[in-house]
Amino acid sequence: MRETLSALLLAGFLLLLGGCGDSGGDGAGSGASTEVEGAGVTAEVEAFYAANPDFFGFRTPDDLPPDLQWTSNDHLPEIGSPQAKKGGTQYAALQDFPRTLRTVGPDSNGSFRPYLLDNVGMGLAHQHPDTLELFPGLAEAWAVDWDNNTVYAKLDPAATWSDGEPITADDYLFMFWFYRSPYIMAPWYNNFYSTTYTNISRYDDHTISITMAEQKPDMDERGLLLAPIPQHFYREMADDFTERYQWTFEPTSGAYVVRDQDIRKGRSIALTRLENWWARDKKHFRYRFNPDRIQFSVVRDTAKMFEAFKRGDIDQFGLNLAEYWYEKLPDSDPDVQAGYIHKSTFYNQRPRPPYGLWINTAQPLLQDRDIRVGIAHATNWDMVLEKFFRGDNDRLNTGNDGFGDFSHPTLTAREFDIDKAQAAFARAGFTRRAADGILMNDAGQKLSFMLSTGYENLRDVLTILRQEAAKAGLDLRLEILDSTVGWKKVQEKQHEIFFTAFGRFTEAYPRFWEHYHSDNAWDRAFLDDGSVNPDRQLNTQTNNLEVFALQEMDELIERYRASTDRDEMVALSHRMIELHHEHASFVPGFYQGFFRTGYWRWMRYPEGLSYRHAASAGELFVHWIDTDLKRETQAAQQAGETFEPSITVHDRWAE
Amino acid sequence: MLRLNPQTRKKLRRFRNIRRGYYSFLLLAGLGVLLIIGELLINSRALIVSYEGQLYFPTYTTFHPGTDFGLDYDYETNYRELKARFAQSGGDNWVLLPLVPYNPYENHAPGGIFRPLPPDASQQHYLGTDTTSRDILARLFYGTRIALVFALVFTACVYLIGITIGCAMGYFGGVFDLIFQRIIEIWSNVPFLYMVIIIFSVIPSTVAVSTRIGILLLVMVLFSWTGMTYYMRTETYKEKSRDYIASARVIGASNSRIIFRHIMPNVLSTLVTFMPFTIVAAISAITALDFLGFGLPAPTPSLGELLKQGTANLRTAPWIVISAFGTLVALLTLVTFIGEAIRESFDPKTFSVYR
Repeated sequence: MRETLSALLLAGFLLLLGGCGDSGGDGAGSGASTEVEGAGVTAEVEAFYAANPDFFGFRTPDDLPPDLQWTSNDHLPEIGSPQAKKGGTQYAALQDFPRTLRTVGPDSNGSFRPYLLDNVGMGLAHQHPDTLELFPGLAEAWAVDWDNNTVYAKLDPAATWSDGEPITADDYLFMFWFYRSPYIMAPWYNNFYSTTYTNISRYDDHTISITMAEQKPDMDERGLLLAPIPQHFYREMADDFTERYQWTFEPTSGAYVVRDQDIRKGRSIALTRLENWWARDKKHFRYRFNPDRIQFSVVRDTAKMFEAFKRGDIDQFGLNLAEYWYEKLPDSDPDVQAGYIHKSTFYNQRPRPPYGLWINTAQPLLQDRDIRVGIAHATNWDMVLEKFFRGDNDRLNTGNDGFGDFSHPTLTAREFDIDKAQAAFARAGFTRRAADGILMNDAGQKLSFMLSTGYENLRDVLTILRQEAAKAGLDLRLEILDSTVGWKKVQEKQHEIFFTAFGRFTEAYPRFWEHYHSDNAWDRAFLDDGSVNPDRQLNTQTNNLEVFALQEMDELIERYRASTDRDEMVALSHRMIELHHEHASFVPGFYQGFFRTGYWRWMRYPEGLSYRHAASAGELFVHWIDTDLKRETQAAQQAGETFEPSITVHDRWAE
Repeated sequence: MLRLNPQTRKKLRRFRNIRRGYYSFLLLAGLGVLLIIGELLINSRALIVSYEGQLYFPTYTTFHPGTDFGLDYDYETNYRELKARFAQSGGDNWVLLPLVPYNPYENHAPGGIFRPLPPDASQQHYLGTDTTSRDILARLFYGTRIALVFALVFTACVYLIGITIGCAMGYFGGVFDLIFQRIIEIWSNVPFLYMVIIIFSVIPSTVAVSTRIGILLLVMVLFSWTGMTYYMRTETYKEKSRDYIASARVIGASNSRIIFRHIMPNVLSTLVTFMPFTIVAAISAITALDFLGFGLPAPTPSLGELLKQGTANLRTAPWIVISAFGTLVALLTLVTFIGEAIRESFDPKTFSVYR
């Protein structure tokens, strides 16, 4: 589970004042005293278990319900290719050095975390990238008791942490204590793990059950995707947790570890494959996690990163932006034509990040729905799609596209139409054009808003919108901010119009509470009689960027959250999306129905690789490095020999 | 009629004799004139439109909606299309466009896709276009204008503060001098770049672009006036101890009279000599800040922003960096040449026995 709050897409964490990290010759020198045995935190943990007997259950195997249907979904296809070779070093680049090696607590939700936990660590089970069905991870088998919101799991007795300690039921109990402890300084985790779950029980060393608070369609996933925390590693915990574990790598259940000698702060960091990884022969893991070593160097500048890729210093470069796909590495590029660099497009079908304009309805003029409708009609996304994305991307229709049934089947976004925009602005009293062509109302107020963004590489999108909006008499002043500054701004609700998106995880159904509930907009949005509270204050630090507050929506959200019936939830979801559309506080922008990448010939992907729910090429670790091919390619480059060019499109999941 | 004293006239004559500096000055002055009337040379608005027997001069007036010229939209007329339309339909209507018919903000993508286009005279993109298909010449031209105006205002402000405080320190001396020296020492150790970054991160975005430019100017001035005070202080100290100041004081001249009538004219050469270099520093600073992304707010045309684009597209669009870099080098070289010539012609060691 990850905190959506700070999951800003494309957030390159720019360390503004940095530049000179300490090189830390002795590795992660801060030295957590993990070896120290003794009192530590154990007594505190046990006291906590004892104080919460409802939450932490200690039972015997005899207590297991007799009629459980154990399963392990053996029918699911393997992931990756049998041709994959283990070995070699993959070279990659990071925009910024990770600020910590912790996976929880301040600064931990950075772009390196997937390599420490999310894409590498093991849960009880994992979702198959094609069907989202569960396949076994740490659990050999599991059983779901839908009536009691409980999942049962049998841990694989072979499972061990990277330091050799076995993974047992105790690590799962400890995980709940850990995420609920105040030491980790992560209120979101504290809250999530105390409200989403109501019980964890230990039956023996390798059998547990987890009970969820609500019976949701994805209840089983909430329980089974959980990853444990190594209790033996965190014997010592206190208020200095965040500093003490800042640069220590927690033993992992996954295939890759970070060794102390590979941490060169500010410069590079490497993952090393465990030769004797316990899961290396398991069905869904044996063809994955192939390179022996993944070496990340810090290259702060994207242009430099690309040059490093062209030199062959890094093996792969994401080419999602049209500028890179068509201009910087066109199909006609000599290295592509010579077959040294391969280009691939992978289509996918998954929840789409809602790129668009988030209009702050708490701002004076933007309270007026007519103006918001006008803005929607005055933004020319078609031109953005055509001229900036070159027709590769598609128009987003609502803020919740890509959720299957839960997305609205027919609703379409408001189209660019100057006449409709002007009609809407006229209804709001903006009828005259000023000397510069911008609309004015009778009070002499100009129709001018600040359009901000934290996406520096998408600034041209805003330039286009600004030019086109001027035709409808709307002035959009642009503000391109550093990603963290921009994020801070919307979190404090100081924006007028903000161009951004939220990272979307592979979830079964969309979340509405975060973005549209009045609790996240105002401290007390409505008075008891249902009227708008005149003294209400903005609630900052929430994801309700539109300051969206409608009582009808609140009621729908409550019903949606309480609902356990899938059909009812779908109907409610459609109704809420309509209501959101009606409110016109979000101008849907675009989505990219694929990801694409360029990689050197020696970096291999399985033949015909295409996973429906994959969001990026590397996240499943199905690629491998062919060292023979690398030698061959480099020799060929020297000798001027060429290979067959390879430009592939994996469009099995094209929409 | 301006009456210069013979000394100054002599210096000016010497300046004129230093060919390199003098021609640089003429070139820059010429460029200055072009920049002032820039809207007539590089602009998307037509110079003259003749429509239905009536003449329009849209350059400096309020905008003309398309409906004014028989088009079906009420936003700003696209004069390039209007010209093509008039030419096509024959008739007496005509449009006279400027030499470069683009403004620095508009995206003009002949291919329908926003990407850098190489220089192309047939499209009248004489230096090509940048990554969003904006005309580079237009952006360079207006970027230079903003940089120059910025530099001049900056110099004026820095001089005003620097001269006032420096003169006062030198003239009054004593405790005042002591205290201000310490203040300046502390102040000049505050890192300028970090201050710019910090200040710009707290400025509310509702502030208009022009105000933001003003704030940037203010911040730069606040951190740059200190250098000037040292020179003024020493110069004033030196002059103050001369006999003519003593005599002026004996006659009963007031402090302000002594400073403005006697000391200032005599330290003028120091001021004039430094001026071009202050301007160079200002242009470099604003370009560097733009390059780093902390300078003029988008989409203001600027040399630094073009340089940044250029370095990011070195391989695919070398003309961006060539134009921006060339302009910057030319501009700074001209100003530096002028500065050197001024220094040489005002240098007392070469041209006078005693001063």
